Amino acid sequence: MNPLGPLYRAIEWMPIAAQDAVVLLVLLLPALVVGGLVIFGYRPFSLVRAMLWRFRWTNLLFIGLIAVSVGIGVGLIAQERGLRQGTARAADPFDLIVAAPGSEITMLFAAVYLQPSDVPLLSGDTYQSIATAENVSLAAPIAFGDSYNAYPIVGSTPQFVTHMSPALVEGAMFRGHADAVIGSGVDLTIGATFTPAHGVGDAVEHDAHAQFKYTVVGRMQPTGSPWDRSIVVPVEAVWEVHGLANGHAPERADQLGPPFDPDYFPGTPAVLVSAEQLYANYALRAQFQTAETMAFFPGAVLASLHGLMGDVRQVMSVMAVITQVLVTTGVLVGLVILMRLFARRLALLRALGAPSRFVFSVVWSYAATLIFIGAVAGVGVGFLAAAIISRVVTAQTDILVNATLSWPEFHLVAGFISLTVLLALVPAFIALSRPVITDLRS
Amino acid sequence: MTLGLTINALAVTAASGRMLLDVPKLHLAPGSCLGVRGPSGAGKSTFLFSLAGLIENASGAVTWGETNLLQMPAGARAAFRRRSVGMVFQDFLLFEELSASANAALSGAYSDPAHQKAIESKAEEVLTRLGISHGARTVDSFSGGERQRVAIARALASDPAVILADEPTASLDRKTADALIDDLLALVRDTGKTLVAVSHDPAVYTRMDRVIEIVDGRIATDEAAR
Ligand SMILES: Nc1ncnc2c1ncn2[C@@H]1O[C@H](COP(=O)(O)OP(=O)(O)OP(=O)(O)O)[C@@H](O)[C@H]1O
Ligand SMILES: [Mg+2]
Repeated sequence: MNPLGPLYRAIEWMPIAAQDAVVLLVLLLPALVVGGLVIFGYRPFSLVRAMLWRFRWTNLLFIGLIAVSVGIGVGLIAQERGLRQGTARAADPFDLIVAAPGSEITMLFAAVYLQPSDVPLLSGDTYQSIATAENVSLAAPIAFGDSYNAYPIVGSTPQFVTHMSPALVEGAMFRGHADAVIGSGVDLTIGATFTPAHGVGDAVEHDAHAQFKYTVVGRMQPTGSPWDRSIVVPVEAVWEVHGLANGHAPERADQLGPPFDPDYFPGTPAVLVSAEQLYANYALRAQFQTAETMAFFPGAVLASLHGLMGDVRQVMSVMAVITQVLVTTGVLVGLVILMRLFARRLALLRALGAPSRFVFSVVWSYAATLIFIGAVAGVGVGFLAAAIISRVVTAQTDILVNATLSWPEFHLVAGFISLTVLLALVPAFIALSRPVITDLRS
Repeated sequence: MTLGLTINALAVTAASGRMLLDVPKLHLAPGSCLGVRGPSGAGKSTFLFSLAGLIENASGAVTWGETNLLQMPAGARAAFRRRSVGMVFQDFLLFEELSASANAALSGAYSDPAHQKAIESKAEEVLTRLGISHGARTVDSFSGGERQRVAIARALASDPAVILADEPTASLDRKTADALIDDLLALVRDTGKTLVAVSHDPAVYTRMDRVIEIVDGRIATDEAAR
């Protein structure tokens, strides 16, 4: 459990930012108290500066080690949160998905993140009952399976396009069966034509639909989801390309979008449902939890996935701290060795009559300075790492991830500083236990 | 303030059991200057360190004024050195990255603020008196003679009653050595400090009030200087 829970409960009357600032302070408190007690009454810093300067390259290396370990740790933790936020944002437009019974997660990946998979279809009658249910404001078929140049082609309705992108950044909505609206990240221009390939990824058959050509007529706004790399076409066209009925009776064959005619409806893997009022979604989900259909909230499935990963997150934080502490321990061992090089100076101080606590404060301040500079530089490295990993993840998944460091990471770094400056007391004690005369004569 | 020294049955034995120092009795009047000579390895530095309470396994009594150093815990001995002893070491032992002024005023870093001011001004005063006019420069660029002056200024900065100097003129040329020892003696005598100076250099110990010779850890001769 979170050991900071009771603290947060005690200060929950404060504004959020103030709470976080208080927690930061509390986490830094051990370091501040120890520092205050160790240094109180003395001015060790000119000596510390001299010692830092004397072995500047070694010190820089120590600082670099601490900075990189702290930076990568907090960068990864920030990344995990960024990924959760990114996946949640990508799922935002998908209020309720109705599909044939099966795996919700498979359907989530297929419909929301456009990861290809073979799923059973919903029939025209089923679609009809969804579309005509009370309170349904949008029931858009989502028919995937074709692609062009690795861009998935999804058949749906003009209403769906408007739902994803209330305004188009370029061009207009499709009016004919051969029109296409592209996602913001698709490398095609308005007016460009292309032939769809059957299948997605490695399984594509390029010539299956060779006789058919789509024309790009519009471009959607960026959504920060894989839909930015999708090509949305009328679902009627997808059916026609596959030699099926186009969803409408022959006398209305030119129609685009709903209502569809159940007798001429070849089936759709999924239907995006949006209710007139938010609360009505719950009733609709219950209503379509039947033998022929499953209904789920992508947001809720995602939340339970994230919940599963909550433990992973905790483990990750602990591992990050352990790694950082290990690296710092290594650095402190290095310091103990370095102290042998300073032994003569420390012996001099003691021979001159400097109080033990002063010599202690010099050694501790020296170590604490390295730790503090390393940790602060680590925050910088963390920002950089988070930005770089975000770019890579965004490029790889098309899910816009904007990870950046925030309070949890600052808290982690504060806890790290407190823990390690306490560890830094050890080299200071070791330095005091050295024999004065032996070191003086060395 | 000025302190005299009384030694009673001072003995230092190495871990091996070897006798390093054996001084049954010695008395030194407050404000006097004692030269210590003797062959290398005789125990002169050990003697000096004993007077500062720096030798852990010394037995007997080393009493400065009323204070018997050997009966006090390490912390109290350090406090005594801080207050009453200025030390000059055989090879300067300066912080190379600090300025001459900062080196000379080193003890200010661990004294109370009121004292710190006094130490800083005294350090400047002594540096000036010893002819170091470039106190702001870091000492890594200083010559041997200049370093030794900074080390002497450091010993005098806290205005101690006792100065313990180990080979203060070692590795200096004749002229520099003479000038330095004259300056040191003038500074010490001006304020009635008690000085114990170890040296191989006759020019040093002939300027003292009294000279002892240590051979194999024992006082072999003890005489007033000419
Ligand atoms: N901790 C110790 N254990 C054993 N022997 C020691 C120890 N400290 C010093 N000695 C020995 O004691 C003797 C006296 O050493 P000391 O440094 O006092 O000589 P010194 O008279 O100052 O010589 P120098 O003129 O060369 O400086 C030396 O033989 C030295 O090796
Ligand atoms: Mg010696």
